[in-house]
Amino acid sequence: MIGQFIDGPLWTFSLAVFVIGVAWRIVTILMAGNRPDLSTPRGSASSGAIRTIITRSVYERTAATRGRLLQIAGYLFHIGLFALLFFAQPHIDFYAERITGFGWAAMPHWAFILSAELAFLGLLLLWIHRLLSPVTRLLSDLDDHLGTVLVFLVMLTGCLALAQSFEALRLIHLLLAELLLIYFPFSKLMHTFTFIMSRGYTGATMGRKGVNA
Amino acid sequence: MPRLSLTPTGVGGYTTAWSLLLIWLLMLPSQGLAESKQTRGLPPPAVLNPAADLWRDIRQRDMPARGTTQVRGVDSAVLINANGDRWRKFRMELLIPAAGYLLLGMIVALILFYVIRGKVKIEGGTADSKLPRYTSYERLIHWFIASIFIFLAITGLIILFGRPLLIPVFGKELFSVIASASKEGHNLMGPLFLVALILVFVKFVRRNIYQKGDMSWLLRGGGIIGKKHVPSNFFNMGEKSMFWMLVIVGSVIVASGLVLIFPIFGQSREWMELAHVGHAIGAILMIAVIMGHIYIGSIGMQGAIEGMTTGYCDLNWAKEHHDYWASQMERRGEAVPNEAVNRFSDPDANRSLGRELREAEE
Amino acid sequence: MSVQFEQGVEVLRQQIDSRISSYFSSCVHCGLCAEACLFYTETQDPRYTPIYKLEPMKKLWRREHTFWGKLGAIFGLNEALTEQDFADWETLVYDSCTLCGRCSMICPVGNDITYMIRKQREGFSVAGYAPDGMKEATIRALKIGSPMGVTFKTLKAALAHVEKAIGLEIPIDEKGADYLTLFSSMEIVNFPEYIESIARIFEAAGVSWTISSKAFEATNSGIQIGNKEAAAELVNRVVIAAEELEVKYVVSPECGHAYSAIRWEGPNLIGRHYPFEVMHILELLEQLKNEGRLQLEGKSFTPMTLHDPCQIVRRGGVVEQPRDLLNSVAENFVEMTEHGVMNWCCGGGGGVSANERAEPLRLRVFERKKRQLAETGVNTMVTACANCRIILEEGIEDNEMDAEVISLTELIAEHLVEGTKKS
Repeated sequence: MIGQFIDGPLWTFSLAVFVIGVAWRIVTILMAGNRPDLSTPRGSASSGAIRTIITRSVYERTAATRGRLLQIAGYLFHIGLFALLFFAQPHIDFYAERITGFGWAAMPHWAFILSAELAFLGLLLLWIHRLLSPVTRLLSDLDDHLGTVLVFLVMLTGCLALAQSFEALRLIHLLLAELLLIYFPFSKLMHTFTFIMSRGYTGATMGRKGVNA
Repeated sequence: MPRLSLTPTGVGGYTTAWSLLLIWLLMLPSQGLAESKQTRGLPPPAVLNPAADLWRDIRQRDMPARGTTQVRGVDSAVLINANGDRWRKFRMELLIPAAGYLLLGMIVALILFYVIRGKVKIEGGTADSKLPRYTSYERLIHWFIASIFIFLAITGLIILFGRPLLIPVFGKELFSVIASASKEGHNLMGPLFLVALILVFVKFVRRNIYQKGDMSWLLRGGGIIGKKHVPSNFFNMGEKSMFWMLVIVGSVIVASGLVLIFPIFGQSREWMELAHVGHAIGAILMIAVIMGHIYIGSIGMQGAIEGMTTGYCDLNWAKEHHDYWASQMERRGEAVPNEAVNRFSDPDANRSLGRELREAEE
Repeated sequence: MSVQFEQGVEVLRQQIDSRISSYFSSCVHCGLCAEACLFYTETQDPRYTPIYKLEPMKKLWRREHTFWGKLGAIFGLNEALTEQDFADWETLVYDSCTLCGRCSMICPVGNDITYMIRKQREGFSVAGYAPDGMKEATIRALKIGSPMGVTFKTLKAALAHVEKAIGLEIPIDEKGADYLTLFSSMEIVNFPEYIESIARIFEAAGVSWTISSKAFEATNSGIQIGNKEAAAELVNRVVIAAEELEVKYVVSPECGHAYSAIRWEGPNLIGRHYPFEVMHILELLEQLKNEGRLQLEGKSFTPMTLHDPCQIVRRGGVVEQPRDLLNSVAENFVEMTEHGVMNWCCGGGGGVSANERAEPLRLRVFERKKRQLAETGVNTMVTACANCRIILEEGIEDNEMDAEVISLTELIAEHLVEGTKKS
C-alpha cells in the first residue's frame, strides 16, 4: 500500500515539484533583472560568458594546488553521480518507463559499480572535509548538511538495493529520491542549474573588460 | 547452490541430462543434511535411496574427488566437495560463537577497564597551550577510513551473525531484506576501504617505523597501569603495532574480500572458503582491536580525541604521552596558545571581529 | 533601528539583481574563495573568507528571495537584518577587502564575489557603517575635489615645480585638445615625478592634451566606500569638464580604482554613454609606442618585476600593455610566479589605505607580496598605481626590506627620446 503510494502519486508529486520548482527558481532569478551596462566593451560579453561557463570547470592554477583535494573529490563525486544518474541500466529503465518512453545505451555493469564507488569516495571525502575545515565549518548551514545527507542516503539506499531482488529496498531508494526531488528546488542543490547563470554573468562582465576569466 | 557453468558451445542433450542428474544428486545430500540436522535422534527413513551407495563411496574420501566431465568450469569436475561441509560446520559451530565471545569479551574487558582504571587523566591538568598534531588532510583520511570501517564492520557482522542472532528477532522475510542490503553495501564499500588503507598507509608509515624508545615503552606497559610517566615518540609502540596490524591484517581482509566479490578469476570453491575464513578471522580481530582504539581515543583518555578532531592536542597531554615528540616541538617554538587555536578550530566560539576590535579599544 | 539603518537596508535590497541572486543560489559553501583571498591566506582566519563577508546581504536575500526565508519570515522563525549585523561586519567588509577580485576568478560556480561586496558597501555606506577615514576622504572629495584635500591652488603650485623641472608648460583648460588627463591626489602629493614624466612623453610624442581646473582628480572615493551617489558626482565632474573642453579622450593616470571607476562603472553611474573614450595611461603609451610616436632608447639593466595593480589588470582588462611596455625598457624583467590577472593585491586598495584602523592587518598581509618578491629574486618592483606604490613602500619599510618600487610611466620617461623642445 505504501509501495503503491511511493510508486504512484508521490512520484508524480515529487517530479512535478521538481520541474515546476526549478523553473520557478530560475524565473525569479531572471526577474530580479540586471541593469544594462553602458560602458564601452573591450571584448565580447557572449564569448566571455561561454568561456567562463566552460573553463571554470578547470581549476585555476593557484586553486589547483591549494584546493587539490576539493578538486579531485569534487570531480569524482560529480562525474560519478552524473554517470550513475544517466547511464546506469536500472535508472535508464526507470526513465524509459516513466518519463521519456525511450531508453539509451547503458554503461557496462562494472562501470556502474566503479562510478558508484568513485561517487561515494568523492562525497565522503567532501563531506568529512566540510565538517573538519574551519572555513567550511563557519560557512556551512543546515541547507548544506541536509543536501549532503539526502544525496548520500539516496546513493546509499541505491547501493543497498543493488541486488534488485527486494521491493522494499527499491522502494526505500525511490522514496528518498522523491524526497530529494521535493527538497531540490528549495535548496543549494539548485546550483546544478544556476551555476550556468552565475558563471555566465561573471564571464560576460569579464569578457566585456577583455579579461579571460 | 553451486553455480554450474555451461560450455560456450551450448549444451547438448546428453550433457543436459547428465548435468541435471548431477544437480539432483548434489541437492540430495544438502536436503539430507538439513533434514538430518533437524531430525537427529529420529530413526532413519525406511525408503532406500538407490544412489546412496554411490554417494557414500564418494563422500567417504576426504579430498574433493575430481572426475572428468564435458562441462567446463572451475569445479565442474568435483562431484562432491566434502570440504564444503567441514567449512560450513566450522563457520556455524566454531567461527560464529568464537567471534561472538571474542567481541563480547572485548566489550566486557573495556567496561571492566573503565570501571577499575577509570579515565586516564592528564597529569597536572590541561595546559595553556597546544601543539599542532594532525593536519586537516590527516584528519580527513582518518575519519574517512573510520566511517568506511564502521560501515563495513556493521554490515559484515550482520552477514556473519544474521542467521543465529537476527532471524529470531526479525523473522526470515525481513532478515532476507536486511541481509541483501548488507551484502550489497558491504561489497560496494569494500574496495573503498582499500583506497582508504592506501591513503592512510602512505601518510602515516614514516611515523610508524619502530624507533628507539619504543621497546622500553612496551616493557613498561605504556604507563596504562599506574601513573608512571613513560616517554614516547609521535606514535607509541601500542599505536605503531595497531598501525601495522591494520595494514597487514587489513591487507588480508582486502585481498580475501576481493577474492570473494570477484569469483570470476578461476578460484575454486576451496579458495573461496579459504578467503572467507581469512576474511572473517581478520575482520573479527580488527574489530576487536578497533574497539580498544575507539575506547581509548574517546572516553578512555582525556585529551586523546581533540588531536583528531581539532588538529591540536594539549601540551601537557603531549608531554605525558609523547614526550620525545612534544619536547622537540616545544623547542622548535610550535606551541600555540589556547585562544589562538579556539578561534580557528571552533568558529562557533568566535564573536565577530568588529565587536572584538571595538571592545579592545574600550 | 534607526532611520538611517533602514535606509541602508532599503539600498541594500535594491542592489540584489539577477547576478547577485544567481550567485547566492549557486554558492555551495565550498570555501575555495578563502584560498584566493590575501586576508585569509596570510592570517588563516576563516572569517576572512570572501563569501562570509557577504553574510548581511545573504541574510536579506534569503529572507526575501527564497522559499524557506519567506516562510520563516511569516512565522517569525528567522531574523531580519539588524543594525548589529552591520556593526559586526563593517570591519570584514571594509578592512579585510580591497575589491582585488581574486576570489571572483577562482569561484568554481563563477560567483563575482567582488561585485557582491561592492554592492553590499552601498547599503553599509548609506547606513553609516563605513570606516571613518573613508567617510572623511569621500567628504573631502565631494567638497574640495580631492580625497586628500588637494585644491586646484595646491595643484597649481605643484605644477609650477614640475614646469620648472622639465621646462615645459602644462596645458590647463585647453578647449579642443585631444586628451584630457586626470591625476590622482596621491601622485600630486607624493609622486609629482609622474606628472613630469607624462608631460615629457606627451611633448615628445606630439600629443595634444590638457588638464581641467574643474576636474583634475582621478581618484573616486565614492567607488571605494561604495556609494553610487558620491561616485556618480565625482565621475560627472570629469564628464562635464571633458564635454566642455570637447576632448576626444580622457586619460586615467596611474591609479587603480580611478580607472575602473571612470572606465567601467562611470557610464552606469551617470546613466549615459560618454561622448569620449576613456584610456588608461598605459593603454595610451602602448598605442603611442605602436604608432611610432613614442621613441624609446636604451634599457635598464636592474632586474625588476611587475606588480599588477588589481583594478587595472584583473578588474580593468589592461593586461598585456604593462608587460609590453616594461619589456621595451627593461633588460631583466622577471615575472612573478603568479602574475597578470592572478597577481596578488598589495593589500591597500578598495579604500583600505584610507582606513587607519585597517593598518595592522594590511601590514600583516603584506607578507604575501614579500614572499612573491623573494621568489623572483629581484629587489625592484615596477607598478602602475600610485596607491599600490605607497602601500608597497610602506610594507617594504615595515619589513626592513632592501627593495624599491618604481612607476612604469616614470621608467618609460627615463628612456624617452626627446625632441628639441627640452631646454
